[in-house]
Amino acid sequence: MALLELNEVTKRFGGLTAVDRCSFTVEAGTITGLIGPNGAGKTTVFNLISGLLKPDVGKILFAGEEVNGKPPHLITRKGIARTFQIAREFEEMTVLENVITHSPTRGLPDLLKRSVLKEEREKAIALLEFVGIAHLAYEEARKLSYGQKKLLELACALMADPKLILLDEPAGGVNPRLLERIVEHIETLHRQGTTFLIIEHKMDLVMGLCHPVIVMAYGKVLAKGSPEEIQEDPRVLDAYLGAA
Amino acid sequence: MPENPSRDEIVKARKEVYLGSVVAPRVESRKLFLFSLLCALALFPLLQVASGRFNYWLHMLLFTFLNVTMAASWNIIGGYAGYISLGHNVFSGIGGYVAGALLIFYGLSPFLTAPLAGVVACLFGLLFGLITLRTRGSAFIIATIALVLLTKLGLDNWELLGGTNGVSLPLLPLPARFVKLPFYYGMLLTAVGAVYLSYRIRHSKFGLGLRAIAQDETKAEVAGIPTSLYKILAFAISGFFPGMAGALWAYYLTYLRPTIYFAILGAAEIVLMVLLGGRGTVAGPVLGAVLLVAMNEFFVARFGSTELNIAGTGLLMLIILIFFPEGIVGTLRDRKKLPRLLDWG
Repeated sequence: MALLELNEVTKRFGGLTAVDRCSFTVEAGTITGLIGPNGAGKTTVFNLISGLLKPDVGKILFAGEEVNGKPPHLITRKGIARTFQIAREFEEMTVLENVITHSPTRGLPDLLKRSVLKEEREKAIALLEFVGIAHLAYEEARKLSYGQKKLLELACALMADPKLILLDEPAGGVNPRLLERIVEHIETLHRQGTTFLIIEHKMDLVMGLCHPVIVMAYGKVLAKGSPEEIQEDPRVLDAYLGAA
Repeated sequence: MPENPSRDEIVKARKEVYLGSVVAPRVESRKLFLFSLLCALALFPLLQVASGRFNYWLHMLLFTFLNVTMAASWNIIGGYAGYISLGHNVFSGIGGYVAGALLIFYGLSPFLTAPLAGVVACLFGLLFGLITLRTRGSAFIIATIALVLLTKLGLDNWELLGGTNGVSLPLLPLPARFVKLPFYYGMLLTAVGAVYLSYRIRHSKFGLGLRAIAQDETKAEVAGIPTSLYKILAFAISGFFPGMAGALWAYYLTYLRPTIYFAILGAAEIVLMVLLGGRGTVAGPVLGAVLLVAMNEFFVARFGSTELNIAGTGLLMLIILIFFPEGIVGTLRDRKKLPRLLDWG
């Protein structure tokens, strides 16, 4: 059974059909790439999976359970974490509080507990050490550089031990050295059993890291296959370069 | 630590500092300060009992407690969660009407029914929040103004409770020398409760979630926070102590009247207090309420109840906000110059 399955999902904004009968699966244990020209509907797909948007038609199944139409926080609790294309953070909170905000709570008794519990703090510090910004734990998040904010997003995404992580352009606006580190983190987590679905424009990154790769254009899935297959697929070349 | 600490001990000590678990030694002085302040406030009425010349001061203090209650409660939804309510006087008004009606029709003292009035205000907030807090941003502000208008309209037409004319409440049967004392203690208790609640929320998971909502609601939702539930709860909870305070205040004023309790923009003054002290901080609303009441009183005493007193208060407030744009407590904290005595979180 696929970990995530989109079945004929459609999303319209007025007259524009951003996602058009889109179907694909993400198998557990893969790093699946999602590529396509600008405006292909990739981020809309992310917003549909994470619940920020509701599909007009179609079903989204996570671990066999229908999640479309559920509010985002419930989808997150089921084990899907995401990052944003432009890094977002709670800027007036400390880096540590940012991470701990992503810690799952259950019911009213949890709400009354202290904002930062000891075990949460230890876990959050460990995650910040993992991404390499633990020395900034008590700084306000707005003081971080853009690259550090990207790393913070990754640490945040990991706090709730997700089964599936959606990364929206992890390489966007990140310098090559930092990118290498991010890729290393993704590979480490992948070896530990986390599944990834990654939107990315840097083709060398996608081809080196992802398997399989899904190509979208005009809201539809154009092709799915290994990086090699995708690179040779004439439809994909068409979509990127225009019809020959 | 021993003279030659082992590596493990060094690591442990460093870790403690690193994790911030070393308790700052001066925390106790802050507790002592708050405890002495409360003792002084609790003992103050003895002066009145002894001399009978402190009724004015009792009035000013209990009026301050009322405003502290309102400001600290407003801060839960307006400061922590970032949702400006311009209708918070509705909660105190409803509290007043509930307790007043119970007094008129059943002879129950508002001192007994004040908590019930708080609960009713809470439920009212819950209902209103269920409807309006699905929206985000400025639509909510408008809705809270509408809340004031609607409630006023309803009570204007409720002839049983006097309609637009309102209704007088029986006096508390005590001699003038002592009549303010129960109100003073009731209001003090309410203010302490409101500030304590605000403090507890600020340091809880709930408070962390509310602050996340204030800064980026979408991100908060994706982080796993049920944002709608949090907002509705915060709004409802922020109505409890204003409801209680309103019950006592109406009994103190000895009448119910829609135009007084449900003035349009009657809540604006509460918002000003919180902005003056520091939105989203625990001590800010308290300081703001005290300052604004003091400023108002000073200018009224100086210029009389003319337009000048309003201009004076406004001007002074403007000047303070130029130098403390985030409110006094907020700005001092940003500059890391906040005295520990005022650092309540």
